[in-house]
Amino acid sequence: MKKSEISRQIVLTLIITLFFLSGCAHYTINQPAKQVNQNDAYEFNNFTQPEDGEETFVILTFSGGGTRAAAFSYGVMEKLRTIHLHSKDKTILDDVDVISTVSGGSFTGAYYALFGDRIFEDYKAKFLYRNIEKELAYKLLNPVNWARLASPYYSRIDLASELYDETVFESLTFKALADKVRRPFLIINATNLYNGARFEFTGEQFNYIGSDILSYPVARAVAASSAFPFLLAPVSLVNYPFPPGYEESEADKMALQDYWVNKERYFRTANNLMFSDKTTHPYVHLMDGGLADNIGLRAIQDLYVRGGIRKKINDGKIKYLLVIVVNAKNAPPQKFDQNESPPGLATVGLKTCTISMDNYSFETIESIKQIFEERIKAQQYIESCQEHLDKHCRDSYELPSMSGGQMKLYVVDISFDNVSDKDEREFLKNLPTTFYLEKVEVDRLIEAGGRLLVEHPEFKAFLEEYR
Amino acid sequence: MHHSIFLRMEYLLVKFDERRGVLVDNVEEGFTNEVIELETGTHTISLIEPKDFTPELREIILRRTTSTKPKVIRFEKV
Repeated sequence: MKKSEISRQIVLTLIITLFFLSGCAHYTINQPAKQVNQNDAYEFNNFTQPEDGEETFVILTFSGGGTRAAAFSYGVMEKLRTIHLHSKDKTILDDVDVISTVSGGSFTGAYYALFGDRIFEDYKAKFLYRNIEKELAYKLLNPVNWARLASPYYSRIDLASELYDETVFESLTFKALADKVRRPFLIINATNLYNGARFEFTGEQFNYIGSDILSYPVARAVAASSAFPFLLAPVSLVNYPFPPGYEESEADKMALQDYWVNKERYFRTANNLMFSDKTTHPYVHLMDGGLADNIGLRAIQDLYVRGGIRKKINDGKIKYLLVIVVNAKNAPPQKFDQNESPPGLATVGLKTCTISMDNYSFETIESIKQIFEERIKAQQYIESCQEHLDKHCRDSYELPSMSGGQMKLYVVDISFDNVSDKDEREFLKNLPTTFYLEKVEVDRLIEAGGRLLVEHPEFKAFLEEYR
Repeated sequence: MHHSIFLRMEYLLVKFDERRGVLVDNVEEGFTNEVIELETGTHTISLIEPKDFTPELREIILRRTTSTKPKVIRFEKV
């Protein structure tokens, strides 16, 4: 056979192989739920805590911000691991009940939820010190992946998800988290591109799309949570018909009556019930959780107002409620306001994505602080009324007590703005949102996270009150 | 979708002759004769078993209450 003929055959074989590879490439499809209670195992109410850990309810929320956010939240966890509350054997980190995460923060939260204290042995090498961006770029340069990326059902986010699955999360699914049963309960947050609503990777949320969460890879949830607009494509899910016996919950039925009374409740429910229309919405496309809430606090607000935390409070289980918000918001220097001509499309596009994220984060933190203040005041009103009655009425009348009693509530918001040293603050705020930072930068972020936690006045107040 | 962020909680007192678990929207939450803190809006209220009370269920709208002036509803023992 002539040389040119051999070459032609090789090229032809290569083209055919690539063609088939392209045709075969498909993102990992979520599975349908076969039974109505299949997702119960990954619902907050089914995660337990030892009796002595129940009364101190600790919540962590980790913001987006790439490796910057992952390292900053790791620093907070590392410090929590050194502070003891109940006994010498148990630290505040052991007492954490819920971790709600977004984007970069999802890597740290998910790794801890899956592997526990192992995070302090290998997570730096496995993620924080790695150049994830470079590794993704190498994957993109691989001709096999060119063919896969030519498929309409496979994109850059699927490549990223595979990388996280193989090298960070050991191909584990939500079943591995559900099997632990013990808290912390992990909530990974993404955003539904269709309506901008928060989409959380929990059993409750998957019930609305008739899908099984237990078989879903944790790495894909983390990828969805960190699918930054333009840089990465959305993660897609199939919206399946409900399994036999599925019924709308009583709370959802009631919420649909509340358009005029409580629009937040109404729309939260309407956004979930949208998935009931399987014909109009057969798929869900998810992007970075930061588009709906970049600090992961909205999930906690929902649990506090109407979910599992509310139930625990009304059942009198919680005495101390501590929420630690780790917000790695940066503010790199910008020069576009020095020019008379307006900034270009790229700058405007980026600012459009990030401005609303940052504004919304600030308001969400203020909102949870306000709602906690209201609870404290409500307790004080009853207490002071009772004191008044005891003092001025001959026949003492006992006011009905408040469910949950005299609860203590704390919000510890940790951000670079809290750093008192100007140079240090600017250094941290100038760090970019990427999946690669220098080792020295990662180390400084870890150190800052721990330091800002113990310096925070609300955290000090919590420790003082508790002890 | 971003909505109004400043949320308020409401207060409900379910009166009954004895201490009993309360069902809020079909979920056991809090107890009778205590002020229960709940989300603003429409809720169904009942009690846990035994079914020795009337009415079986109340549908209420919780709005503009305070901890010292909660909405009060009563179940009678039968």
